[in-house]
Amino acid sequence: MIRRMIASVAAATIVAVPAAAVPQAQAADPVVFTVGMLADVDSLNPFTGILAESYEIFQLQYATLMSASSADFTPTPALAESWEVSADGKTWTYTLQPDLLWSDGVPLTANDVVYTFQRILDGRYEQRNFGNYVRNITSVTATDDRTVVMTTKEPSPIMERLAVYILPEHVWSSIDGKAVKSFANEPAEGEITVGSGPFLVVERRTGQFIRMVANDNYFKGRPNVDELVFRIYNNPDALGQALVKGEIDFASGLTADVFSTLEGQEGITTYAGDYSGFNELAFNLGAATSDGKAIGDGNPHMQDQRVRLAISHAIDRQQLVDKILDGYGTPGSTVIPPLYSTLHIDPGTQGYDPALSNQILDDAGYAMGPDGVRVGPDGVPMRYRLFVRSDSDSSVKSGEYFKSYLAAIGIEAEIKPVDENALFEIIGRGEFDMFEWGWVVEPDPDYQLSTFTCAKRSYEDGGEIYADLSDSFFCDEAYDELYAKQAVTTDQAARADIVKQMQQILYDDVAYVVTFYYDNLEAYRSDRFTGFVGQPEGTGSLTFQYGTYTYENVAPISDEGGTTDEPTAAPSPGATDEAGNETAAEETSGGSNTGLIIGLVIAALVIVGLVIVLVRMRSKSQEGDKE
Amino acid sequence: MSLLQEVAVGEPDPIRPRRGTGSTARIIGSKVLRAVVTLAFVVVFNFFLFRLLPGDPIGLYTRGRNMDAEQIAALREELNRPIWEQFLTYVRNPFDPGIDSTRFSQPVWELIGERIWPTLLLLGTAIVLASIIGIWIGIRAGWKPGSRFDKISTGTTLTLYSMPEFWLGMMLLIVFGVGAFGIPGLFPVGGIVSPGVDTGSPEGWLNVLWHMVLPCTTLTLIYLADYSLVMRASLVDERRQEYLMLARAKGLRDVMVRKRHAVPNALLPTITLIFLSLGFVVTGAITVETVFSWPGLGLLTYEALRGPDIPLLQAIFLLFSIAVIGANLIAELLYVVIDPRVRQ
Repeated sequence: MIRRMIASVAAATIVAVPAAAVPQAQAADPVVFTVGMLADVDSLNPFTGILAESYEIFQLQYATLMSASSADFTPTPALAESWEVSADGKTWTYTLQPDLLWSDGVPLTANDVVYTFQRILDGRYEQRNFGNYVRNITSVTATDDRTVVMTTKEPSPIMERLAVYILPEHVWSSIDGKAVKSFANEPAEGEITVGSGPFLVVERRTGQFIRMVANDNYFKGRPNVDELVFRIYNNPDALGQALVKGEIDFASGLTADVFSTLEGQEGITTYAGDYSGFNELAFNLGAATSDGKAIGDGNPHMQDQRVRLAISHAIDRQQLVDKILDGYGTPGSTVIPPLYSTLHIDPGTQGYDPALSNQILDDAGYAMGPDGVRVGPDGVPMRYRLFVRSDSDSSVKSGEYFKSYLAAIGIEAEIKPVDENALFEIIGRGEFDMFEWGWVVEPDPDYQLSTFTCAKRSYEDGGEIYADLSDSFFCDEAYDELYAKQAVTTDQAARADIVKQMQQILYDDVAYVVTFYYDNLEAYRSDRFTGFVGQPEGTGSLTFQYGTYTYENVAPISDEGGTTDEPTAAPSPGATDEAGNETAAEETSGGSNTGLIIGLVIAALVIVGLVIVLVRMRSKSQEGDKE
Repeated sequence: MSLLQEVAVGEPDPIRPRRGTGSTARIIGSKVLRAVVTLAFVVVFNFFLFRLLPGDPIGLYTRGRNMDAEQIAALREELNRPIWEQFLTYVRNPFDPGIDSTRFSQPVWELIGERIWPTLLLLGTAIVLASIIGIWIGIRAGWKPGSRFDKISTGTTLTLYSMPEFWLGMMLLIVFGVGAFGIPGLFPVGGIVSPGVDTGSPEGWLNVLWHMVLPCTTLTLIYLADYSLVMRASLVDERRQEYLMLARAKGLRDVMVRKRHAVPNALLPTITLIFLSLGFVVTGAITVETVFSWPGLGLLTYEALRGPDIPLLQAIFLLFSIAVIGANLIAELLYVVIDPRVRQ
């Protein structure tokens, strides 16, 4: 019986193969640019999704009024070709590009902009992702098809960075405030999601891929590739292998070990781009709720600036970059990363100097105890809880380094690994001395700077303490004043000056020890595609930008060089080059059919072989039995 | 993996004295009743288990969103209902489609529905293949213990059984997926279907089959020992039985003795094993699904745990319990049918 089953499976396979071989001849093959990433989106609905992967799709699908330039993140026109502000800084007039069209051909007008902003202003659910952009807005009106006027309570620089995805009213008006909560925004089969960005979603398979097609009506012109596919790989090794094999053309978010195995491989270019994230060693600066009520059980030593300064001098940031990031990063200084060149400062006064650390602690009265641990002026030994994130290898490793750095200056750190969710709550309740974590910083510094204001400390609700944005409990009057001032300064240069002062305050007070700025590790098939654009150009990440520069500009190699356009030509002596281009042609043309057929034929052959062996063994054993 | 130990569960009860007719119905009835009671317990337990977990679900949900304290407080109020009221809603329909996953903001039932088919397809095929090949190897090896075939097959299956799933998967991926040692990379590195291929068409089906080759081979190779060793052991036991001597004395050929007499008896524990393992088909294979980026339930569970996504975990947990309880019940009932001793 078993034998019969195997035979029928084999037969089915063999019969099926020729059928698949028929639909080979297709129309002009589309150029597909495939990006591999390590996580799926959480939702395609811009009011719902919060993951970086989701935002990458949102900004490809829907254009915004303005964007961040690829050169230095300054506000740059997108749907709005220009804007101006009234003398009092409270009335903003935006002029849209002429002749804008949605992907389905319906004109994109000022009414769509008003619709989108009004929906967020009026909505509850809609405010979850975009509330901070409209908090200050009092009215949004269209004075004609191309002009939108917004008025605000206070002057605000955020009005030049409205990263709100403009939605097509003719599609979204049918989705009310209740339906939007469960609206997936995924196209029905054979349909295309209406949008205004360079690419439009045509298909999504949860956990597998998101397929997008070029938007013919994109206001900057149709992109150079016809399709953009995001494929999801569940482990970094498979992601790297997929690039080597050519299943994908671009790999994003690689780990350092996979990245280094890809270095120098033929046809592949590796690229360690500057990224907007930093990691820090944070201190409990006196946990309290936003109304000043002390909470938690942090060691008071942490509130002594000299202790923190000593710790800052004890940490070898360059070694952390070399050992934890494998060199793919830069030593840290302030909470605004250096890729925001118009805002970042590097005071450079807290270099690695353990001798100085010891000096500072001696002078401050933290005398060395008999067991190698210093004792504070209050008689309490310098023993602190240091929380690390158990779900991050780099955090656990950093913890070990911190421990040894601190031991060298007579401070004992007790490492406590907990997962991020638990740590989030521990921090909120102020039940820590130090911890290791990180932030990703937006081009507009407001959000990051707000995490150090008194108002963002934890809050109490129904007898429970809940975390807000502040995880250091930093609270300083002068800082808060500057924060309020930058929030209403619409002149970018004047605002940058304030932001720099704020960084200096945080740095001098050692609110954080910013350990490093890590790179985003990317790699791509440079034998197939060209036209990648970094943000900032030349040094920054190629994908996951504030904008869609790479996707708009990426182009297949054969278009540029025009050297080997006939894959059918006889093999030339330049064997290596030829081989590279051959795979390229095969993969991009959907010719994976060939691989499929070969694979299936081999599978079928194996099964047939197995059956033959089985049958022969059987008859042999029967012969044996007869004797 | 740990199925070997669990065979004992399905072992037939010792032969009992003969009772009146209708005992079969009673046996079946009691087994079904036991399954229903277990299920009811799991449903209740499941509810309280996930409410005992530490963590502030609202905090988790709102992290990374631009919401101010007022909005968060309002949201908390929305979900803050008395525990008995929550329990009633839950018992009325444990798979309430109105409950959204906190990580995916999608009804949990929809999420599970999307992920369950890939898992059933992959694990189902692997278990069918592994059991067919495993039983065949077990019969050949067990009938002539100590033969060359026995030594080679037992050694090989044990070696495969001991390999870490992710390692074997990664090796197959590198050799047959990417290509190494002169072997071309014939199979895809990951996924279930190529983007843009219509899974409704015959071409789509072949494409899925093509993607399935490597993960399915990995699982089959690893599960092989489960079946072949159990089959071999029980056949070796049967060989010692006196009824086989009688069968030989009747003049039957060795093949017939094996096919008609020894194998049907020796199959019993293996069949139990197969049905028990079918219960675990639903839970998926986290490691293999991870290596080959197979969008199945195992992976969804992993993602839900990382959240932790309580509504999703609760539904998944319940689903797994039902599958295992159901498979156990089927295995027990099947015994009533195939083993006359149980009916007596």
